[in-house]
Amino acid sequence: MPGSTSSWGVAAITLVCLATVAVGALGLRLSRTTSDFYVAGRVVTAGWNASAIGGEYLSAASFLGVAGLVYSLGTHMLWLPVGYTLGYLVLLVLVAAPLRRSGAYTIPDFAEARLQSDRVRRLASLLVVAIGWLYLLPQFQGAGLALRTVTGGSPALGSFIVAVVVFASVAAGGMRSITLVQAMQYWIKLFAIAVPAFVLLWLWARGGQPLPSVSDPAGPFGGALPAYATREHPLYATYSTMLALCFGTMGLPHVLVRFYTNPDGRAARRTTVFVIALLGLFYLFPPVLGMLGRIYLPDLPQDARADSILLLLPSAMVPGMLGDLLSAVLAAGAFAAFLSTASGLTVSVAGVVDQDLFSSRLNRRLGGDLPRRKTFRLACVVAIAIPYAASWLAPSITLADTVGMAFAIAASTFCPLLILGVWWRRLSVAGAAAGLLVGGGLALGATLATFAGVGSSVSGWLPVLLAQPAAWTMPLAFATAVIVSLATPRSVPLNATRVMVRLHAPEEVTGRVGSHGD
Amino acid sequence: MSGQNDISDERAARYIEVQNSQEFADLRKKFRGFVFPMTGAFLAWYFLYVLLASYAIDFMATKIWGNITIGLVLGLAQFATTFAITMVYARWADRELDPAAAKLAEHMERGELR
Repeated sequence: MPGSTSSWGVAAITLVCLATVAVGALGLRLSRTTSDFYVAGRVVTAGWNASAIGGEYLSAASFLGVAGLVYSLGTHMLWLPVGYTLGYLVLLVLVAAPLRRSGAYTIPDFAEARLQSDRVRRLASLLVVAIGWLYLLPQFQGAGLALRTVTGGSPALGSFIVAVVVFASVAAGGMRSITLVQAMQYWIKLFAIAVPAFVLLWLWARGGQPLPSVSDPAGPFGGALPAYATREHPLYATYSTMLALCFGTMGLPHVLVRFYTNPDGRAARRTTVFVIALLGLFYLFPPVLGMLGRIYLPDLPQDARADSILLLLPSAMVPGMLGDLLSAVLAAGAFAAFLSTASGLTVSVAGVVDQDLFSSRLNRRLGGDLPRRKTFRLACVVAIAIPYAASWLAPSITLADTVGMAFAIAASTFCPLLILGVWWRRLSVAGAAAGLLVGGGLALGATLATFAGVGSSVSGWLPVLLAQPAAWTMPLAFATAVIVSLATPRSVPLNATRVMVRLHAPEEVTGRVGSHGD
Repeated sequence: MSGQNDISDERAARYIEVQNSQEFADLRKKFRGFVFPMTGAFLAWYFLYVLLASYAIDFMATKIWGNITIGLVLGLAQFATTFAITMVYARWADRELDPAAAKLAEHMERGELR
């Protein structure tokens, strides 16, 4: 494949990287205060914000992974992108409004505001970092994969480029610049997947090739496949992943902070409507390309991964310049996906590392701007370097699976914390901490065991339970938090009532209550 | 969060007043009464789709037009319903929730909290 593909590919990827840095630099000139730096001053219009959310959310797993899964497992894998989308709806209706009112920017902030506990806060911070790193890992791996597929370059180079570009844009501009970058990247991604999809669909229609036998229950693409039919206990694996997607989205570090960039609850809802439309629009294309892959590349070329099917498809359909050009466009879109998701995650992880490890909280109170920025940059290095190094060491599990594990950990830790924190006044400090420890410990342990290759040495239920842990770790985390809370009523924070009113009373009310105090 | 810890007694009293008011209870009830069943319904619909794909194989493989099967159409319909539900929720919140919340705020201001 290398050859003329490489020059187009290199040009397209370079263009996306340059645009990212340039727009990031533009944002730098716009962000002036710490608040700008972190949440873009809380004023970003619904359209921009929705594009930014979409840009940030559509990661390597969405861009390459969904097509790869539809290619290897069939159209019923549509449940996966549906789950990615549905997670936003769950987040919107169950926790978005109360979280906005809590005034907390991040989940650790929320934990502290709700429970008045430094310990729970630190626990939450550690989990943000763990989830963020796990989510960053496949972005780096995907970048390596994409670069190798399109240009034949070393995978190490692809992930290095992403690491450098992300650092440059995040460390320079913080959240405001990232909002601009992300919004732009949504549209790059949509364009980069829609145009090749339409061209290839047209070629397919003209070529008169039949659709793959979608309805042949016997075939590998058959209607009989729920999802993970090639694995053991497919229905469990599917349901567990679905749970993780629906309830994990609210706990992803880079997702929640976006909801604070809406000026009020109404705008937050409007933004979510846009987001779901934008995500739904995007997700129409990867399955189409996966299906075309089934027709034109019935057998995956040697030492290629299903995750790279999207990039291999154009040349298989139209050898020559058009194919190379389309591959290059897709590669550019994939790079936009790695860069945008990695940037969003880096902002969140670095924010937590900075806030809870580096700079004192006093500094934040005083609004000390200059030193804060320096510590933030240092935190960025830490946030990027660790998952980058891990992307070399970690075995290559499919992109969508690694991302699925990050969702499972979020669903087993922050989902109970947020839902109980928002809806249950009797949640105690001990209960919340125990829930985080049990859910996080089990889900993280399952993830590490899967990475360590437990699945390849044993068969039966164990590897399935470890690879898709959410269905048992999430209920256990909820149960632990509830039981321990009921057993320790004295560790319910004293001001729980007041905080609950603040969370559930409309902004107008708490605003007026507040105005009598301060 | 130290600034929020040492609030005045008056402010704390007002929070408790809100918490104890019938109006606030009604507002929360209204919200939960709509949102919890709705969440249950859309999650059930999503899980049902995968259940059908696993067990109602013949049904899902029914061809509607060419190679387009019911399974494929239902899969795409999942996106459409997710969007529709979000719209419904946003409209409900605009029409029902926000006015009720504004009324609560107004009554509080005038000290007429029920």
